[in-house]
Amino acid sequence: MTHTTDNAWQHPEVQLASGGYVVAYVAGLVLMGLSLWIVRGHVLAPMETGIAISALAGLAALIQCVLLLHLNISETQIWHTVALILFIPLFILAIGLSSWMFHGLYRRTMLMPAAHVSAPATGAQAAGAMKAPG
Amino acid sequence: MSTATNGTLDAKRSPMWSAGYGHDAISTRTLGFWLYMLSDAMMFTALFVAYTVLGHAFNAAGGPWGATVAHPGVAFEETVWLFSSVLAYGLAMIALTKGHRGGVMLGITAALLIALGFLSVDIHEILHLFRMGATPERSGYLSAFFTLVFYHGLHVVAGIAWMLVMLIQVAFTGLTEKVVYRLLNLRLFWHFQAVMWVFMFTFLYLRGAIV
Repeated sequence: MTHTTDNAWQHPEVQLASGGYVVAYVAGLVLMGLSLWIVRGHVLAPMETGIAISALAGLAALIQCVLLLHLNISETQIWHTVALILFIPLFILAIGLSSWMFHGLYRRTMLMPAAHVSAPATGAQAAGAMKAPG
Repeated sequence: MSTATNGTLDAKRSPMWSAGYGHDAISTRTLGFWLYMLSDAMMFTALFVAYTVLGHAFNAAGGPWGATVAHPGVAFEETVWLFSSVLAYGLAMIALTKGHRGGVMLGITAALLIALGFLSVDIHEILHLFRMGATPERSGYLSAFFTLVFYHGLHVVAGIAWMLVMLIQVAFTGLTEKVVYRLLNLRLFWHFQAVMWVFMFTFLYLRGAIV
């Protein structure tokens, strides 16, 4: 099996990674520069800024997954792609559910400054204050 | 040897599979390592969760937080260093597709040196924060902030050490099957750091600066 050792670099996993790096580099820097400009220049309201930079991060990550990690649906790469796609719900659930839990916790323990508490929560907040051990 | 595996792995295009080499080491090892990288991404997820839920002024316990701690300008400088290092490693991988041993070593050396540049900016920034009293033990917010910064920095240190090892292996043993799959795994590791950095830059530094 000598040729497998000599020509290991001819393996499809090596050959598929033959380009796209410069495009990924430029796109990554442009998108991150755009995010920086949005935040530095106070171009948008805080809420819109959050959404805009999240969208730009998602786009940059997508470009890098395709051009740097070479994820696609070819026969050699399909399981890499499937594993990543199955990872995304775990990522969103972990962050989303934890934020939701702590949002409720902070409201009920009155740790949140009054300005940040939404109106319907006032009742729960008062009840929480009475039950709070101090 | 499994013929089913042979069929799914595109036997026609690879000289290795057509030679009756049923157990394709390179493909199985890169897939295994990719799954490991995704579990590492779950670690990052957990740390981002901690940073998100502690990202309120009261978790800073009266200490520094927000724009005082998160400096997007410095973070963008780090972005340029890290992406450049990733690009240099990509150029090493292009040399690998042609079997150019010298090109591979040149690319990895460049990636390694640029990664050291990233690390120096990172350490300089951490020391700057320490001097202004923003230390990990100051508040829950800063604990979460620095845990993410250190965890990411540790990846860069690991990447630099790994590149050093690969330089030695490429120099002394050449592009053997074992060296090639390690170069591919290091590619997955290093290029995944670019993806993670996009989230670090956006949600740690930019988001931290606008709260």
